Amino acid sequence: MGTKPVLSSSEIELKAYYTAEDIPEPHRSRVNLPPGEAPYHRGFHSSGYRTKPWRIFQLSGFGKPEDENERIKFLLKNGETGFIMEHDRNTADHCYNVDHPDVVSRREDVGLTGAVMQSVRDIDICLDGLPMDTSFAHAGGAVVQHAPFALAGYWTVAKRRGFDLRKLAGTGQSDFNLTYLGCVTKQQIPTDAGLRFNADIIEFCTENLPRWVPVSVAGYNGADSGLTPDQELGSLFANTVEYLDEIKRRNKIPLEVAAKGCGGVSFRSSIHIFEEAAKMRAARLMWSDLLRERYDITEPKTANLRIHCVTAGSKMTYQQPLNNIVRGTVMALTAVLGGVQSLGVSGYDEALSIPSEHAHQMSVRIQQILQEETNICAVTDPLGGSYYIETLTAQLVEKAWQFFEDIMQEGGYLACLDSGWLHAKAAENQHKEFMAMESGEQNIVGVTFAEDDESPYEVDGFMGTDDAFDVATARLNELRRTRHETGAKAALKNLESVCRSESNIMPAMLAALDAEVTLGEIGDVYREVFGDWNTPIQT
Amino acid sequence: MDNSQKRILMAKTGLDGHWRGPTIVARALRDAGFEVIMIGMASTDDIVRAAVDEDVDLVGLNIGGHINVALRAVNSVQEARPGLPLFAGGTVPPHAMKQLQALGVEVFPPGSQLAAIVESAERLTHRSS
Amino acid sequence: MLVSVSQEVTGLIDRALCGERSALARLLSKIEREHSSDVAQLLLGENLGQAHILGVTGPPGAGKSSLINSLLPIARQHFDRIAVLAIDPSSPFSHGALLGDRVRMQGDSLDDSVFIRSMASRGDTGGLARAAFGAITAFDACGWPLIIIETLGIGQVELDIVNVADTVLVVLNPGWGDVFQANKAGITESGNVFAINKCDRPGADKTRQELEESLRLLHADQCPRIVETVATSDRGADDLWQVLLEHQHALQAGGHLEETRADKRRQLFRKLMVNQLIAKLDSALASGESEPLLADMMAGVISIDDAVHRLLQIGQRSGHS
Repeated sequence: MGTKPVLSSSEIELKAYYTAEDIPEPHRSRVNLPPGEAPYHRGFHSSGYRTKPWRIFQLSGFGKPEDENERIKFLLKNGETGFIMEHDRNTADHCYNVDHPDVVSRREDVGLTGAVMQSVRDIDICLDGLPMDTSFAHAGGAVVQHAPFALAGYWTVAKRRGFDLRKLAGTGQSDFNLTYLGCVTKQQIPTDAGLRFNADIIEFCTENLPRWVPVSVAGYNGADSGLTPDQELGSLFANTVEYLDEIKRRNKIPLEVAAKGCGGVSFRSSIHIFEEAAKMRAARLMWSDLLRERYDITEPKTANLRIHCVTAGSKMTYQQPLNNIVRGTVMALTAVLGGVQSLGVSGYDEALSIPSEHAHQMSVRIQQILQEETNICAVTDPLGGSYYIETLTAQLVEKAWQFFEDIMQEGGYLACLDSGWLHAKAAENQHKEFMAMESGEQNIVGVTFAEDDESPYEVDGFMGTDDAFDVATARLNELRRTRHETGAKAALKNLESVCRSESNIMPAMLAALDAEVTLGEIGDVYREVFGDWNTPIQT
Repeated sequence: MDNSQKRILMAKTGLDGHWRGPTIVARALRDAGFEVIMIGMASTDDIVRAAVDEDVDLVGLNIGGHINVALRAVNSVQEARPGLPLFAGGTVPPHAMKQLQALGVEVFPPGSQLAAIVESAERLTHRSS
Repeated sequence: MLVSVSQEVTGLIDRALCGERSALARLLSKIEREHSSDVAQLLLGENLGQAHILGVTGPPGAGKSSLINSLLPIARQHFDRIAVLAIDPSSPFSHGALLGDRVRMQGDSLDDSVFIRSMASRGDTGGLARAAFGAITAFDACGWPLIIIETLGIGQVELDIVNVADTVLVVLNPGWGDVFQANKAGITESGNVFAINKCDRPGADKTRQELEESLRLLHADQCPRIVETVATSDRGADDLWQVLLEHQHALQAGGHLEETRADKRRQLFRKLMVNQLIAKLDSALASGESEPLLADMMAGVISIDDAVHRLLQIGQRSGHS
């Protein structure tokens, strides 16, 4: 063996084995703390998965709203314990209707990544017969500029069905990393307008939907763009600080309540088992420290960080796709060992297309096998006390705070998106990762190594349905013909004036959805009022 | 500095802004001495106009969606600039790969080696033979 | 010596002059790849000087491309066709380049009335590409009435755009004065019109004040106009275009347009000639032949004048080999 150091993905040098002496102080003295005690790295509840197994929560959606409705029902029937509404990204991410020239010129793409939902009518179809009152739902709106529309749509349908908004549980994500760092859209509102939207949503939920998780900061999209685990942690909390500082500045709702709302986050679970599991433990610890030190909040319920986790899509290979079932299992196990509250496993056909029904089923089955057969739910924080894991946890916390500080030095998280500083960090890592593969330093089974075995099963890309664009176009025309035009125009005008003011956008958005204003019309208002984000990278 | 640099147009056919793959490829091509004109998410009309006006030697398409969108771009480029070589990468499932290859497009699915992509660019622009 | 260019090039010129877009595109490549000034000279007999040339310059990241994108639909109301030449740096190591300006200029208004051409600087240090002058000549000869040139992000000293454009628009951002202290004078001297882009950011007022002060020192009578813009939301674009138009009209009304252009052209050609001389000198110095000459010069056997004269002769020969 050479003398080259062995590094983790956060570039922490790994020893060949660990002993108690390796665990740095002050972490060493915390090792014996039980789960349920601050700083919560061992988990928030001592009984862990015994009382509440993680939620099986799969991204799902394609085609027409009724296709997506059918797939969600399929997943619920197969054992999913919450549901996610995925909106078609061509239209949703950009807030375009299907007749926007950029969508028309790609009409076959429409419906490939989620159902097309341009008005409350479409959302109503998608939610037909779904247990809105009893399920935890992701209402869509993963993208910042789309979140107010998606949330207002979901809530409007719930109200019309007679459900009490105060009892509704779910989330909408509204995540900066997704489209400002990971998957940059062609047009979107500038980050300061996005911050305002998110603060509006947090305030609105605090007053009207106490069980709703208003925003969910998602490290996933930073990580899958190239940020290392320590950077994923550091940037996630730097992002959270933007929200909390803004809420504090506005001083309209108690900061503790807002902090509780920001405590539902999502991480990527990647393939380096121990570092990724340690990352989840580090995240809980950092959240508790951040609240105490920066905001003087020590209330245990607020310090309870709930983690949703998605396995790393970018680790799924195009070649020999069935191998990805194994990768998915390993990454799912990793997340569970880290004690996450909710989990989605990427489909084995991730590198080829959106998940087929079979790939979706496998993602659920992986989690069911873990929950039902492995006895993994029996003991909380099973890795706790491992010299290696505890050392890694402490080292990750330290490196992550350093990255957090670097971001603060650069003017904060949003400033780092505006300037492209975070993109540069991600690109640097991507490049390194790619070069390690290219040089043979990192083998990928079936891709750069063991390429020769024949898969007996032909897996091809799933292409959804082929009528999503036509049906969406017909429905858009139908809506324009049959809606109460004066009411819609008035609601849209009101929304525009609210956008220009400093008032909360959500009441006007709910009124607009109720008046059957369309997504594209709302997007046009945004573009007129807020302009376009100045993308700092070449895409 | 000599003046024989070959010019490559890089475009994304979908409205999907994943930039990992295309950025790494563009950098590798630049580092291999190519001038890479990046137009990001572009419609078929944008791609054709850029291929003509920029008088490029090769067009690279990043594909991430329905194959028909990509095929339309390929057909239009070939109509406007007969004989201009194209290559493509991205999320290209096997059925789509076959359709693109039938049109003479070289396809690099995820997991392809950068060296192979650069080699293809050199061959297609006759920088090496 | 009048130039020898291929039949292919003369054919391209004919077709480009007739308005064939792909021929113009190919001609621009010829200008870039072959002897740029030779090809351009062939065009000198054509009806040149009809185009208005707008140079857009400013520090990297100031938003030059985005601002051009905001101006295009407005400018289209006054000019039926617009050519844009967007210049980005070449890598000094690989000689390759990433040319990304075009991506910011693909607004909805883009159609065949706009011709965008990206160009790598290929080692030029004056903020333009060596072939830029030839390309502008080609656009002009082919009847494109407005030519917009986006330079490299200025950071260096030389600003060739001043000798190429009729109107120079300098794009700055709030806080610019703190960052570009050293080269402030060069930037303020070069502009006919100034845009403070991203003016919604803090410090816009201070930047305007500072800019006004330094401009007043430079121009006793007619101070260049300053316009505040936010390119990403098209704010200020109409005003900016009006100011640019006024500058163009003032140039024409003043009756000095031809004189000014000839002046600028002399400066430009002087610069091109200096570059040629330096290249020849460098190639002579790199050859073995120069060694005894240099030794003689350093020993005082021959004068510097003599040495230069003979080095240039060597450079002439090695440049052709």
